[in-house]
Amino acid sequence: MASPSSDNSTPKGEPWVWFTSVGLLIGLSMVAGLLGLVLINGFSVFWAPPVPTVKFKDGSEIVGQFVQRRVRPNSPASDPQYERQYQIGLRELNSTSYVWVDELNIIEEKIVPETLGLERMENGPAFITPKTIVDAAGKPHAMDATAFAMIRAEVEHASEIRERVLDINQNKIGLVNAEMEETRISLRRAEDRQEPTVVLTDKLKTLDTKFAELKKEADEISKLTARAQLEGVDAKGRSVIIPFAGIVRAWEPNRMTTMDRIGLMFSRMHEFLFDAPREANTEGGLMPAIFGTLVMTVFMSLLVTPVGVIAAIYLKEYAKDGTVLRVVRICVNNLAGVPSIVFGVFGLGFFVYVLGGTIDQLFFSDQLKYNNNTPVFGTGGLLWCSLTLALMTLPVVIVATEEALSAVPRGMREASLAAGASKWQTIRDILLPASAPGILTGVILAMARGAGEVAPLMIVGVVKLAPTLPIDGLAPFLHLDRKFMHLGFHIYDLGFQSPDSDAARPMVFATTLLLIILVVCLNLGAITIRNRLRARFKGASF
Amino acid sequence: MEENQSKSTEQLSESRFQVSRSTLLIDSWMGRIIRLGGISVVVAVFGMLGFLVSQIFPLFSKAKVEPLTLVDFTQASSVAWGEDEYGELPFSCDTKGNITFRKAKDGSLVKTWTADFKTTPITLEGQTTPAVSIPVTAIKTYPRDGLVLLGLADGSVRELKISYKITFAKNGIRELEPTVDLQYAGKIGELNGPILEAWSVKGPEGKLYLSRQQKDGHDVITGRRLVERKGLSGKAKVTVSEPFPIAADVTDLERVLVPSTADSILVIRKTGEVRVYDNSENTFSLMQSFKPFGEAKNQTIAAAGFIFGNVSVVFQGNQNEEVVWSLYPQKQADGQLLRRWGKIHDCETLAGVGQGIFPAAGNKCYLSVAGGRMQIRNMTNESIRWEGAAPASPIQQVVFSRNYNRFSVLCEDGKLYRWSITDHHPEASWSTFFGKIWYEGAEAPDYTWQSSSGSDEFEAKYSLVPLIYGTVKGTFYALLFAIPIALLAAIYVSHFLRPEWKNVIKPLMEIMASLPSVVLGFLAGLWLAPLVDTHLIPILCVIAILAPSALLAGYVWSKLPQPVRRRVGAGWEFAYLFPFIVLCAYGAWQMGPLIESTFFTVKDLASGQNISDFREWWRQSTGLSYDARNSLVVGFVMGFAVIPIVFTIAEDALSNVPNSLISGSLALGASRWQTVWTVVVPTAISGILSAIMIGFGRAVGETMIVVMATGNTAVMEANPFNGMRTLSANIAVELPEAAAGETHFRALFLGACCLFALTFIVNTFAEILRQRLRERFKMN
Repeated sequence: MASPSSDNSTPKGEPWVWFTSVGLLIGLSMVAGLLGLVLINGFSVFWAPPVPTVKFKDGSEIVGQFVQRRVRPNSPASDPQYERQYQIGLRELNSTSYVWVDELNIIEEKIVPETLGLERMENGPAFITPKTIVDAAGKPHAMDATAFAMIRAEVEHASEIRERVLDINQNKIGLVNAEMEETRISLRRAEDRQEPTVVLTDKLKTLDTKFAELKKEADEISKLTARAQLEGVDAKGRSVIIPFAGIVRAWEPNRMTTMDRIGLMFSRMHEFLFDAPREANTEGGLMPAIFGTLVMTVFMSLLVTPVGVIAAIYLKEYAKDGTVLRVVRICVNNLAGVPSIVFGVFGLGFFVYVLGGTIDQLFFSDQLKYNNNTPVFGTGGLLWCSLTLALMTLPVVIVATEEALSAVPRGMREASLAAGASKWQTIRDILLPASAPGILTGVILAMARGAGEVAPLMIVGVVKLAPTLPIDGLAPFLHLDRKFMHLGFHIYDLGFQSPDSDAARPMVFATTLLLIILVVCLNLGAITIRNRLRARFKGASF
Repeated sequence: MEENQSKSTEQLSESRFQVSRSTLLIDSWMGRIIRLGGISVVVAVFGMLGFLVSQIFPLFSKAKVEPLTLVDFTQASSVAWGEDEYGELPFSCDTKGNITFRKAKDGSLVKTWTADFKTTPITLEGQTTPAVSIPVTAIKTYPRDGLVLLGLADGSVRELKISYKITFAKNGIRELEPTVDLQYAGKIGELNGPILEAWSVKGPEGKLYLSRQQKDGHDVITGRRLVERKGLSGKAKVTVSEPFPIAADVTDLERVLVPSTADSILVIRKTGEVRVYDNSENTFSLMQSFKPFGEAKNQTIAAAGFIFGNVSVVFQGNQNEEVVWSLYPQKQADGQLLRRWGKIHDCETLAGVGQGIFPAAGNKCYLSVAGGRMQIRNMTNESIRWEGAAPASPIQQVVFSRNYNRFSVLCEDGKLYRWSITDHHPEASWSTFFGKIWYEGAEAPDYTWQSSSGSDEFEAKYSLVPLIYGTVKGTFYALLFAIPIALLAAIYVSHFLRPEWKNVIKPLMEIMASLPSVVLGFLAGLWLAPLVDTHLIPILCVIAILAPSALLAGYVWSKLPQPVRRRVGAGWEFAYLFPFIVLCAYGAWQMGPLIESTFFTVKDLASGQNISDFREWWRQSTGLSYDARNSLVVGFVMGFAVIPIVFTIAEDALSNVPNSLISGSLALGASRWQTVWTVVVPTAISGILSAIMIGFGRAVGETMIVVMATGNTAVMEANPFNGMRTLSANIAVELPEAAAGETHFRALFLGACCLFALTFIVNTFAEILRQRLRERFKMN
């Protein structure tokens, strides 16, 4: 603004100007610090560093991946002592995957090139020195130059077979199960109404045999790799036998090149984005949560956009200006400031219990009666979550649309009317296209808010582990009544409800990273569109 | 031009100006649809508030009591009664011990059972004394257990079990068939005289039978225990204890109160004294004696009754007294904390002589009868659920049904008056949610939120006050941290920062606002809280050094010669300040341990050594608790949510101050700081206030951060180093577990309404302030 005065005396109050800049500095460092923290911690989850062998004063050794260093709890703050955490894996032998060790006890950390890292289906990772590879035919191979390639091939083979078994278990058996459930309900109904049940019991029998056949098929397939296993020793010299069927991924942390590490990182990221979780959500992927979040957010924006736009057009173009309108506008604005949890309470009380309960009684009374009173819509689910969040983000869309409509120059409106267009034609052909970027900004902001919101969802239908996705191959394909997983809730649940918080930690950071990327991208998109819009209307006046 | 146009218009055909009908039709229809849609959205918004309020409305409604059909047992001397679980088939006992069952629906007689107990015939020297009937002298029923206890003239008791068999008639109508079985027969005391009163209660140690008899004009109470032990073979073995006297030292006995837990006995004397005998092994010894209406008053006790839970007794006097005494820990003269009886409530009463106190089952309500009126009252919050006229005939026994939906009064004339109760939330009242309440077992009245517990007899406590306190506390710490930063940043960005930087800073702040609160909460709980726990003093040092170091930098800069000052272009101060501040902060961080060891050294209780640890120092020197997840952490992290909102709104208000004012000020020779401080800030003050209010609204409703970054304990302490439980966190944690329609569920709705109202009011004020500001700028 004003440049410093040109005479020699200093302008009054300059120190205070410097003082105010502290506010900005703190604010900026907070954002930068937080994003940096999440980025570093999030990405390091996928990174495979060298795995040292740690020697202690008492002669014992551990092999594990370094996790973090901290001040030992209860050590005096004036003379802090540190301890280090290692992920040693092999939970079936060590009883815990993570250990804290006192830094003073460590003699040295050495890098042993033979160390092999294994990511497994169960019991956490394993860090072993491999000795023998037993292939699928049961033939043992000693460790030589091609041993690692062989291990990888076996792992690959085992995971292919796992995929096939999973396909049978999830898709085919899932279909049979769903059909069985339906048949059982029909059977109960038929029994109750004293109708003939022969057809249904026969069908149930056929399904039972089908189920058994599929189960057998899955067993047969998994036998193909049952004999393949890896034998090695752990840090304490105990021999460890790990079947290849339980290995997800193998790597040589101390021999890899940087390119290998990057490759491994991408492979882990791929798993994270496209696979289902395992080990109580602490490992594996996040696909159901990502999918659930996306479906819910998109469904929510489909609900909120038309309603919000219509309400805004009404308020801006149709409603009579006056005290009533002012009050309504204030109320709509204030709705944006109402805590999200209140919307959750409303969603549970009204949508779930009142609306859902009524729907169940009107359309699903049979289901209720013959399925142990299991509610269909009378419990939390995708539809109610979307509706609740739509209501919550409604003011965002209304306000954005109203602003966009106000930004359309008066001249354009008048020109359209003067050219003989009707009010609706003006709205449709002039106002809406002109304000579309503004409306889009509002919708994107609403989506960003909806994607990151957790508190109301906890109440109206998000779960920590949903057995099925909200969209699948079973009619009617989009299951609005299903409970689903959500990234934000995943963070809460893993971070605070998980029994093994150490094991959950990497996954929480990775999830946090993903959620932040999603939300920040949505916001940046909205900001970009808005800036373009501003530039476009700067010169546009009649 | 105009003339030409009008001329050509005339020449054109009329149809040229006719709008096609479909266009008009679509236009009017779309107008209608948009109007309808818009209005329904507005209505829905208000409907939401209406719905929330409608959910809490039942909490504050009184009980609805409606008379049901009267059952006339036509026994002139009915003394006790009982009924089945659904209240379909009540029975009454007359003074002779005869039992009559009648249908509640139409009063028709179903069954009568005649008491006929005979002495065993004795054959002595060839002569047989014939069996003689023994008259019944005492009757007591335990309707909810289906028991009738009869005391006989020879000093023995008979316990009868009433059971109901459900049969279905051919037309599908449910019928009840009552049976009366003798369950226990035996003597309690050694005396052979008539039993005047008898009790049978089942405590955890076994069954306890009590009887009152008279010997030489004195009352004698005798007890006998029946202990049933399951042997290895699964067969129950019953051992009967020796009879033991109870309260042998009592004279002028008026009445005896026996709680159903059988662990103590209250003996009331004619003088108004209550003596408490506590059970240990097979003896009852005097624990305490008190006069409920005050030690000075020799007021007789007209009626008394244990409240459900058996730790409180309501005493009713003859002169409008009604007090509640309860067992709770009290400090004795020797400093010990012992559970003793003490007065916890002094209730308003009905006028007139007390006629009875009858407890409900399953909750803390009771029926109080006095002066011809009856009241259903809640013992805990002293609210009167209902009041009505009592039957004219003397009341013998009142029993509430198990699920508190019915109560019936048996009068001496054999009439059973029955009422239905509709009272879904007897424990709810205004004072339950917002007042101090003396709960059973508590040492003093307090504000408590405790909605669930493992025990069945647990009384849920729903005071919202600790939650509101927690909300205000969290908000306070959040605002304490966020407002200075946000406002300083807003002032700097709006009037000192180079304008081209604004386009970077504002989106950054918007991104900060959009960070999901679950992410903030997770980082607060799992990353920041452990860090603050181990490095509290260094962190506080860094925070403390920031402002002085910036002022110092500004001061030093202003003293520098002008050519040097010129180098720092206006609007670049923050960039030059940054390294300096970082340096100062690093220094402060390093100073932390030194400060901690200088000022906060305490003796470690465990090792006895001197250690310097602020956490221990805080615990020892203030006596307050120190939690890792404390208010400071919450305040700091909530800053992420509050700062961007306050910043954006305040910045808007500050940069919208008309340029003419600023130019005027500068032209008159004011420096840029003087202009901002004396012209811009006062002009935009209402906008700044509105920014603070909206920040307040955001902090009040923040849920996930508080859930994850505090311990969620509902304590009322201003201590910055412990946590809190806020309204919003409470809802998030408890609503998934609350059953729809229960008091707990509605209490959480009440919390949501409080939040809604609070934020709505604050935001409305903020909005009005902002509009006023806008109008002011318009005029300029």
